[in-house]
Amino acid sequence: MRWRWLAAIGLASGVLVAAGCGDDDKKSASGKTATTEARTFAAGTTMAKLKDEGEIAIGVKFDVPPFGFKNPKTRAVEGFDVDVGKAVADELGVKPKYIEAVSDNRLPFLKDGTADLILSTMTINAERDEEIDFSEPYFIARGRILVKESDTSIKGIEDLAGKDVCTALGSTYEETLKKQAPKAKRRLVDTYSECLELIQNGAVDAISTDDVILTGHIIQDDSLKLVGDPLTTEPYGAGIKEGDTAFQAFVSEVVKKFKDDGRWAASYEKWVGRYTGEDQKPPTMTLQEAIDLSK
Amino acid sequence: MGYLFDPDNWEWLVTSNNAEFLLEGFLVNVQIATIALVCSLIAGLALALARLSRNKALRFVVGIWVDVWRNLPLLFVILYLAIGLPISWREAYENAAPEFLPDVLQSGRVFAALLALVLYNSAVLAEIMRAGIQSLDRGQNEAAVALGLSYWQRMRIVILPQGLRRMLPATVSQLITLNKDTTLVFIIGIQEVVRHGRILTGFNFFGGVPAPLLQVFIFIGLMFVVTNLALSRLSRRLEIREQKRTGMTVKPVSGLEDQVTTVQAR
Amino acid sequence: MSSWFELLTDNFDALASGFWVTLRLVGASFAVAVVVGTLVAALRIAPSVWLQRLGGVYVETFRNVPLFILLIIAYSGLRRAGVPIGPWTAGIASLGLYTAAYVAEVLRSGVFAVSRGQIEASLSLGFGYPQTLRRIVLPQAVRTVISPLGSLTIAMIKNSAIVGAALAINDLVKEARIIGSRTFETDAAFFWAAVGYLLLTVAATVAFRQLERRYAISR
Repeated sequence: MRWRWLAAIGLASGVLVAAGCGDDDKKSASGKTATTEARTFAAGTTMAKLKDEGEIAIGVKFDVPPFGFKNPKTRAVEGFDVDVGKAVADELGVKPKYIEAVSDNRLPFLKDGTADLILSTMTINAERDEEIDFSEPYFIARGRILVKESDTSIKGIEDLAGKDVCTALGSTYEETLKKQAPKAKRRLVDTYSECLELIQNGAVDAISTDDVILTGHIIQDDSLKLVGDPLTTEPYGAGIKEGDTAFQAFVSEVVKKFKDDGRWAASYEKWVGRYTGEDQKPPTMTLQEAIDLSK
Repeated sequence: MGYLFDPDNWEWLVTSNNAEFLLEGFLVNVQIATIALVCSLIAGLALALARLSRNKALRFVVGIWVDVWRNLPLLFVILYLAIGLPISWREAYENAAPEFLPDVLQSGRVFAALLALVLYNSAVLAEIMRAGIQSLDRGQNEAAVALGLSYWQRMRIVILPQGLRRMLPATVSQLITLNKDTTLVFIIGIQEVVRHGRILTGFNFFGGVPAPLLQVFIFIGLMFVVTNLALSRLSRRLEIREQKRTGMTVKPVSGLEDQVTTVQAR
Repeated sequence: MSSWFELLTDNFDALASGFWVTLRLVGASFAVAVVVGTLVAALRIAPSVWLQRLGGVYVETFRNVPLFILLIIAYSGLRRAGVPIGPWTAGIASLGLYTAAYVAEVLRSGVFAVSRGQIEASLSLGFGYPQTLRRIVLPQAVRTVISPLGSLTIAMIKNSAIVGAALAINDLVKEARIIGSRTFETDAAFFWAAVGYLLLTVAATVAFRQLERRYAISR
């Protein structure tokens, strides 16, 4: 009698698990197939290993338009960071596999190998440089503050005292806010979409993070506005595991190509320029300058 | 109140494949719960037998182990394992995971989530099974010994079939709790129903029908209530059937949230 | 290992603050759970079928919905609908109401443990139903439920971590994560947070065991 029950449970579990199989196509990210340029790499390097495996795991954001977000209709992951990631994958001749790397997971994922590369609106700074390696900067963002259109009490960082400000756990803004607005009440969340939710339902008065992320919020909800002067300069760099100088050089090379051959400008226009109306040139800051900036 | 029932706010449910997106996420939760339950049953049985062994040291050590895992918050354990698990373990999992499992379940982070769930639930199930085995009439064990059966034979033929059958209702109740606990794995980035719900609500980037948070999460809540209600009905039926058979109800194990207690009116 | 102690002393304020937040959360939710749980239990054993059903719906809903989903609905959902609920209120209400469903069930079985004969005797002596409840049934029922209440308290301590994550409140887990992401010493930070949680659960276990010893009737 007991065996019948066990068999039934086993069968049910099997059916459930098998039912999930059909999702394979939908769940895996859309990646371009390798370009015709077949490069070979020195044996023992990360590039060679990735080429052997046929895919590269790239950590991006899934909920931060316009840099990294998952489109629920097409199930594809898109954005500026994703474009840079595709460039790296194409250069390697492998398929990119995008995984979600929220701010708090970015460094742990690199360290333990969950992700081979991180392109997740990650600012280069000295502390992080001690734990991982960065590529040359591929974008310069500025820290700003976002409030509701109707809010006239907050005009800049000075006005944040006593107000609820939201930012993500593991971002540079935890420290920035502590230094520049010590009396502000910091509310920390896992993902920026939660911050958007909190400001929309009135639970927080402001969000503080990179201007491009905030622009993504404004696109989703135009009752929000940016205020105040830029707080900080945030050079974005691709994250690479510590000590892998060969891969670091490779990614920096891809970034340079991306900037020089016009793909940077195209991606910028598609993801950022179209919404902000601003114009930007590819950043010329070097990695060392970026690190020094944060000291 | 108007906001709650306003049909505009429910329109997202029937547009594009939003509902399907949420159901897919929910399926991931159910799959994780099922796998975790099966592994926890096996591990729990081992722990229960260890707790019942004659070896005092073994009983003591396993007792501490069970107590620790029952007293730590599950969210905490999930977070820690996601960060602290060695790479080699994760790679071993990714290599060992059978091909027919969907992509979502093949990532190494799911291993951390599964491990956390199994560590916690095996401890709880161990206590459930121990209670079941101990509730058996002493005479059963003594008669088996008198018949000359070895320890393993006794276990396999006499004790376990009866003891474990008694614990079936409590085990199904534990599956309900497990189902609810799977919502916590969102925190390590696994694409399950909570993440899908958040993506859906955050999504005005391409225009289309806005999916308000209250309605989306009420829908998610309903999915859970329906599934869990079905499970609790099942558990109650199993318990009544067991009572009719043997005339015995097992005393509920303390500390379990979802004990389906059939209340006996005297 | 010494660096682990260093981490504790360097960050003691933050960890202690997280500890107190968790403690306050659990304490307030406990109060709500007991009060609401008693009311729902009273509904469940009321003579009217409709009241019983009402109590039943409450219990089935709150027992089958995951706490995290409940929290999102209570905080973000209600705020969207225009209700200006704060994070603490939403958290305490959710955790309290959720646990109340379990408290109600525990109380109900406690009440049924009181022999029917006593209820009949009391009613025939002329005591009204509410009086019977108050003076005869509940005092005895309460004593049988001390141990299960202890387990529910431990469950609440564990569930408080979910509240912190959903509502951006800085409880013990969150403080550990903040310290971890700043100093990259996650092992140490999580170790001390685990110590904090075990302190709370052990204290609760000991407290309830003492109460049991003094008051419980075992049946």
